[in-house]
Amino acid sequence: MSEITNTAQAVKKDESAEAHGKCMLNRRKFLMYSGGTAAAASTVSITLFAGTAQAETRKASVQGYPRKLVAKLSQLKDHQPVNFNYPDDGKNSQAMIVKMGNVQAGGGVGAKRDVVAFSYMCTHQGGPLQTTYKHVGDQRVMGQCPLHLSTYDLRRHGIIVSGQAYQSLPQVLLEVEGDNVYAVGIMGLLFGRQDNLSA
Amino acid sequence: MTIDYYQAKDHAPIPPKNADVLTTACDYCIVACGYKIYRWPVGAKDGGMKASENAFGVDFPSNMLQEWVAPTQHNICTHKGKKHNVVIIPDKDTNFVNTNGDSSIRGGLLAQKCYNKDTKTKDRLKTPLVRVNGVLTPMSWNDAIDIAAEVGSHVLKKHGEAAYGIKTYSYQYIENTYAITKYALRHVNTPNFTFHDTPADVTSTPGFRDAGFDNFGPSYDDWGSAETLMICGTDPYETKTVLFTQHIMPGIANGMKVIALNPRETAGIAYIKKMGGLHLDIYPGSDNLVLGAIARVVMQNGWEDSDWIKHWVNNKWESNSGFGQGTRNTPWQWRTTWGKFQTKGYEDYKKWNLKQAEYDPEAAAKKAGIDVKKIYQAAEWLAKPVNGKRPKTSIGIEKGFYWSNNTGNTNAISSLATICGAGGRPGQVVGRFGGHQRGGQKGGGYPRNKSAQKVPGRRRQALDTDRWMYSGHTRFAHVIGTTWIQSMTGSQGLAAKFEELVVKNPNQVKSNNKAEIIATLKKRADSGGMVVINQDIYLRDPIGAKFADVVFPAATWGEVDFMRANGERRLRLYQAFNDAPGEAKPDWEIISLLARKMGFDGFDWKSSNEVAEEASRFSRKGRKAFHMVKVAAHIEGKTLHQKMREFGTDGIQGPTMYNYKTGMLHGTKRLHDTTVGEKQFTAMGLENGPVKENRYGKKMTHFNSQTGKINLQKHPWSLFGDLWEWLSPKKDELWMSNGRVNEVWQSGFDDVERRDYISQRWPGNWVEIHPDDAKKRGIESGDMVMMYSERVPVFKDTILGVHGKDFQFSELMKNGHIKLDKASITAVAIVTPITKPGAMYGNFLDMKQPTNSLTIRVPDNISGNYNYKMGVGKVKKIGESEFKKDFRGMSFAPRNIT
Repeated sequence: MSEITNTAQAVKKDESAEAHGKCMLNRRKFLMYSGGTAAAASTVSITLFAGTAQAETRKASVQGYPRKLVAKLSQLKDHQPVNFNYPDDGKNSQAMIVKMGNVQAGGGVGAKRDVVAFSYMCTHQGGPLQTTYKHVGDQRVMGQCPLHLSTYDLRRHGIIVSGQAYQSLPQVLLEVEGDNVYAVGIMGLLFGRQDNLSA
Repeated sequence: MTIDYYQAKDHAPIPPKNADVLTTACDYCIVACGYKIYRWPVGAKDGGMKASENAFGVDFPSNMLQEWVAPTQHNICTHKGKKHNVVIIPDKDTNFVNTNGDSSIRGGLLAQKCYNKDTKTKDRLKTPLVRVNGVLTPMSWNDAIDIAAEVGSHVLKKHGEAAYGIKTYSYQYIENTYAITKYALRHVNTPNFTFHDTPADVTSTPGFRDAGFDNFGPSYDDWGSAETLMICGTDPYETKTVLFTQHIMPGIANGMKVIALNPRETAGIAYIKKMGGLHLDIYPGSDNLVLGAIARVVMQNGWEDSDWIKHWVNNKWESNSGFGQGTRNTPWQWRTTWGKFQTKGYEDYKKWNLKQAEYDPEAAAKKAGIDVKKIYQAAEWLAKPVNGKRPKTSIGIEKGFYWSNNTGNTNAISSLATICGAGGRPGQVVGRFGGHQRGGQKGGGYPRNKSAQKVPGRRRQALDTDRWMYSGHTRFAHVIGTTWIQSMTGSQGLAAKFEELVVKNPNQVKSNNKAEIIATLKKRADSGGMVVINQDIYLRDPIGAKFADVVFPAATWGEVDFMRANGERRLRLYQAFNDAPGEAKPDWEIISLLARKMGFDGFDWKSSNEVAEEASRFSRKGRKAFHMVKVAAHIEGKTLHQKMREFGTDGIQGPTMYNYKTGMLHGTKRLHDTTVGEKQFTAMGLENGPVKENRYGKKMTHFNSQTGKINLQKHPWSLFGDLWEWLSPKKDELWMSNGRVNEVWQSGFDDVERRDYISQRWPGNWVEIHPDDAKKRGIESGDMVMMYSERVPVFKDTILGVHGKDFQFSELMKNGHIKLDKASITAVAIVTPITKPGAMYGNFLDMKQPTNSLTIRVPDNISGNYNYKMGVGKVKKIGESEFKKDFRGMSFAPRNIT
């Protein structure tokens, strides 16, 4: 609302993105590019309505998320999260990827769309969610956070099931190429950061 | 249901070092966590990641529990006409309440409340509106006030005060409630007056009142320092989150045993169970039976706190006493006649309890649907001495409990608490946990003698304004900050009545001419119809959108300086930091314009501080007494609000005392504190008695009865049992109870519809059904279902009670005062084991599909309150919702996974 996102970069759609269709959030909102290496975030000042009485200076973010290999599909075992760091190795970059036993999930990749990845940091007060992954029937959650009991739904983009988080649990966007699973972006702001790409 | 999907941002600005910093407290739940507002102009540089570059003094990325700004905690608002960034996060420096800078999801998103015309708050009311040809049309303040005042005065003169009804919030800041009640009770002086959560202006917890317990005596510390804590009718994690996370959870970690008396299990109760606590998962409305049985087990084992009882329980003569309290219709009258409630003391209570067949533990457990072992376990934890020492027991209640059997349950818990020695010592307290914050200050007395309602043997009872309106006696309805209709039971019937009296009346405004508008509205009132005026921040449907003839735009939290207290009587100043939209004014100012136009004196305030200063002396008898803060302020050459500002988020707990020698203000940690001694009095300068304007009332160290001791009361099941049996699910019916949910504040006040993050989680009406019940009906999570009933009982007439049983439900049925309504609502089904088999749990107040349409409109026959939690209905699948297979919104994961 208060930020203008520069849509100069074309968005590529790969097979997995198209296959998700309408259960995915609109990826055009995130700028991603395939191949290439990490690009630093930069902000650009733009003046809107320049020269008029309504002139305002706004900041525009030109974001570039790195593309990082985080797992091999064939090595993922059901209900066994694998840890990785993203988008860098700095503070609050702890994340996990998990195969969730053949139940489809929003943003899921793999043949059953059941492979998802999320930040480990609770978006309430930064509590650690490591070891809180659970599967109950068809439900897949992380939580209760040891600090204040927040629980997140891993099939529904990390939406809060019950709890105090100020934001859904940041979901790491994944793309698959053969057996390789890449992290390519994040939906939401990681706890403790003011910008995902600044550490 | 269409919702806008929440787009998670991946950045948020941090406030710069020179940002304005203002303190405030949350506008939502009772806990009232302290917050800091950081404000800096749009266009100015944001804060940087280094500690020296931002207002927090923290290096980013920050650590667990440190300051962090989620994108939802930032907004753009207007301050002095210019755009400013605001970041609102819990105060990490506060010393009380939300220690460690904790907050709930509700308060955490306070920034989203601010008026910002580029967001969903853009439909804030900005100008007065008058309905012309069915359309709400902007009008000047002058004209709109003229219309309301002229028509209101006409109704008062021609139809009497009782025809002028006022329905208002009870909590939205002391300045507003003082002005509103001064107008309604002192000047208009109408008995047709009540608050948002009850049809009649009566106490919500009659049992507490009659026993002598204040609702908010405990300090938050007490809830964590008991050895056994019993929680009735709520999961505090859900609706008083930080009270649970910062006060109860640490207690549990220290070994506090917790008993939860509640049909359903959410995250807090699940945690309690995981840590070894006890869940009494009863059927709705059966609490009295279980409590009576627990009390019996305690007494039969001789585990009662006999020392405490000996010193603090009234005998018959003592509970009879009360000359000067007034005759007939006072609480002690209720106690002392009929033989229904009063006891001669402990032995008499014990004898009575042992005689009641329903309090046999096996019988009680069976009716309540729980394992009888739990009754014995609870009794042990509450009262059995361990190594010769009695456990320190505290008991807290909330709406699930006292809106189920209002009188019976609150009587029973007061007696159980007293037997276990709870109520008057640190860690051994009794009280409500709270719902709304405590922002009520009465500016006048309720004219009960003008009420048309009477119960047998009494003078007058506070008027049931729903029934009064329903029977056609209200000609002018003045509705302030409440939806009225959906908040009351049998809502579909109430809405139909509004439609009939307001919209279908032939006298409708068809002209923009002020005189003609006034003439038409007068004719409507005279012809037996009803005129509606409405003050609010948003246009509510239907009270504002469909029915109001005049709408006034109100200013709210953050737009005006206001005072209020939380559940441990902690008073704070809620500071203004952004401009109210358009021409919106605070409610006290709207009232003052109207009152002056109607010729009432004493409404010439120029600022909210002036209102607060006038109100202070009326606060002196109450638990929020803040008069001494004003005294201190004036001695120091400050205003009341200026002095309150100095307290920041720490605030000061009422009642307040002032030591004239040291110049120090003192707050009160807890009420009914029988352990207060010499040291505390000396610190306050009161060691020789009251000094100047200090008032140290009885409830500080004793209880609210004539003698200052506790009344031990009976709680006969028979007063409610006939209704409960009649209501109990038959054939394929299920209990249809309702309540709140953690992520939404109350009824979705101003959050759920306007925060994509929240509306995505809770996009519409929902109902929880146990898997056993769902399976039988072919219902799965995500299905659209209809809950319906052909037997919603409605007490339809205003009657004078003559004989003792006249208000008993079975008598009302027999005498034709109960009509059975049909009602139905739709919702998305959540199939979950957290609710009890045989019982559904729905959203208590979805605006479009209120569960209140299925709840009984039969007020408690003693207290006059609705038992909102009582309802039954059938449920069937009518289709599938979009959320069944779509992953973007809602969640059907159980809320009790630990």
